[in-house]
Amino acid sequence: MELYLICEDSLEGIFTGIYEAYALKRSHQEIHLQVGEEDNLRLFSEYRSIQADSNKAAKVARTINREFGQEGFMAVCRALASNDAKKGDAIYKMVVSGLAMSDPRKVMSNLANEYVMKVFELARFSANEAHFLIEFLRFKELENGILYARTGPKNNVLTFVMPHFSDRLPLENFVIHDEGRGIYGLHPARKDWYVVTEEEGRESVLSTYKLSAGEELYSELFTAFFHTIAVEERVNRRLQRNMLPLRYREYMTEFQLSKDRK
Amino acid sequence: MEICISESTTSMDKLGVLSDAAKYDVSCSSSGVERKGDGTGIGNSAAGGICHSFSSDGRCISLLKILFTNECIYDCKYCVNRRSNDVPRVSFTPEEICTLTIEFYRRNFIEGLFLSSGILHNPDYTMELIYQAIYKLRTEYRFQGYIHVKAIPGANPIIIAKLGMIVDRMSVNLELPTAQGLSELAPNKHRKTILMPMRQIQQGIKQNKNELVLYKKAPTFVPGGQSTQMIIGATPESDYQIVSVAENLYQKFDLKRVYYSAFININEDRSLPALPGGPPLLREHRLYQADWLLRFYGFKADELLNEARPNFNILLDPKADWALRHLESFPVEVNRADYQTILRVPGIGVTSAQRIVKARRNGALRFEDLKKIGVVLKRALYFITCSGRMMFNTRIEEDYITRNLLTVKERLPFDKDGVTYQQLSLFDDVNFQPESGWASKLIEPKSVVYGQL
Repeated sequence: MELYLICEDSLEGIFTGIYEAYALKRSHQEIHLQVGEEDNLRLFSEYRSIQADSNKAAKVARTINREFGQEGFMAVCRALASNDAKKGDAIYKMVVSGLAMSDPRKVMSNLANEYVMKVFELARFSANEAHFLIEFLRFKELENGILYARTGPKNNVLTFVMPHFSDRLPLENFVIHDEGRGIYGLHPARKDWYVVTEEEGRESVLSTYKLSAGEELYSELFTAFFHTIAVEERVNRRLQRNMLPLRYREYMTEFQLSKDRK
Repeated sequence: MEICISESTTSMDKLGVLSDAAKYDVSCSSSGVERKGDGTGIGNSAAGGICHSFSSDGRCISLLKILFTNECIYDCKYCVNRRSNDVPRVSFTPEEICTLTIEFYRRNFIEGLFLSSGILHNPDYTMELIYQAIYKLRTEYRFQGYIHVKAIPGANPIIIAKLGMIVDRMSVNLELPTAQGLSELAPNKHRKTILMPMRQIQQGIKQNKNELVLYKKAPTFVPGGQSTQMIIGATPESDYQIVSVAENLYQKFDLKRVYYSAFININEDRSLPALPGGPPLLREHRLYQADWLLRFYGFKADELLNEARPNFNILLDPKADWALRHLESFPVEVNRADYQTILRVPGIGVTSAQRIVKARRNGALRFEDLKKIGVVLKRALYFITCSGRMMFNTRIEEDYITRNLLTVKERLPFDKDGVTYQQLSLFDDVNFQPESGWASKLIEPKSVVYGQL
């Protein structure tokens, strides 16, 4: 009988799921990891909820790190940030097939394996989106000098971009807000960054602050720069769309002031 | 030359004029330097480079690309800032450049500064002004982001050496592919004065590398390397000449990049060619494709073109074109051929080739696997076998493959929209216009609907 382990959508939850799947000592083909509740239950299969456990998760993390090396571990972490519903099963099966290889460190090059391929694709999507965020994120200066950025990424990549901006702007107080998930990455000047989750139904105090006096000037200056730097004889909107997907523009300063004038 | 800096110009006006004048400089890359912030200022730098936006011409905006001043003592025929042009002339102050850079950088608009300049008074004077601005930015503002400056030909080597220690990339514009073209269109510039700073920067980088081996903390000289740019289509050189020049620059001057800029006729000077079809963008595209083949695919200029065939094929990219002329080396067995051979197959790029070489260690690859790996099979299938089989029953014949490659046609990127077909419906009239009334539709409906039925 097929067995579905339902685990919570987090690194801890999925790693605990992998631990429990191994602990069952059954054929891996019969076991599946399900992230979050299933709304369409399958016939002839058993569902079991798994409680996340940090000790078990740490053991799995250590094994993955030791056996697959840095590259494999990072790929798994990036895949975990994905919003794909099948990520749990893909990671679990990828770990199983990786550990069966003679040299598990080469697991990520075994792209002919469907689960490795899936993890590779998820990891690539997360990594690409994290990079897009690093490129297209826009800060606005609030009246008290805090830099505030709104974003809405598909994958949960906030933790991948925070180190970049902390290194880049060490003397700034800045906040990156993932609106879709209601989480904030906070960086106080000269200190380490951290992530907090929005309380349900409570307005963030940030929305009460006004923009700083210089903000409008620099937004306008950059928007003007953005338009003058284009060479008219070479206009190629299709190329622009390929390089800068439309869904990011909602958050970008240069597309706000004048709606992308011709 | 009269200098007319009106005191009342705002930073908005200045930025407008000086970015408008700088937009014809192609380079905007921020790559080649990996540097963490030291925690005392602002900025860092990523080896891969980071683009922050894309303008409506599809080019990336990575650096704040501006001129220090658009005043110039030279009269180059193709340049918008030439002395004889009647345009508003403005200059930044070093302070203004610093605040603009920092305020833009804080908001994640840009990755750093690209500073070029027209020539005010003389090359030394201009270079000194640029140095002051950059020095202020680096020391007073503790800016550790990316800085690219233009070295001005004819400037004192000492200033160039000093400037090289605080910037990431320097470039000297070659302007035109040959010395003859240069003397015709830029009478004040000479090939020799352009190549001299280029050589100086090259040797500075080489020497600095040796110092870095000895002393790990030695200051770096132009760590991002140097690049150059040339205008394509203003003078009558062939593609073969241009590619050979580029190859020489890569080999003899260790350049990081050579940029090609399709000539845009701004000044309508009578010594410049008229371009009724717009700038030669397709030609520029083919040159970039060839440039990549030189740098990453192990091709030589002589393999791509020669005296007898001096220009690129308009319909096929240079790699496919080469493959069709060398069918004797195909098909290539993907599971066994070495990396360099796989790299030469049309439809397989550097990333796919690397993935293939890694993935095949774990078992033979099939065509489905290649597809997932990222190989463009519609182009590659004529040139490869997987475990001894071709994908379809295709012939290794030049005419046959050319015909097939052209039907899937690598979409020529610069035609209008590329859509030449549409869903056929009885009620559609392609010439339909909203304002035309019933009468006009009754008179001429035949053209499209009947033609297609």
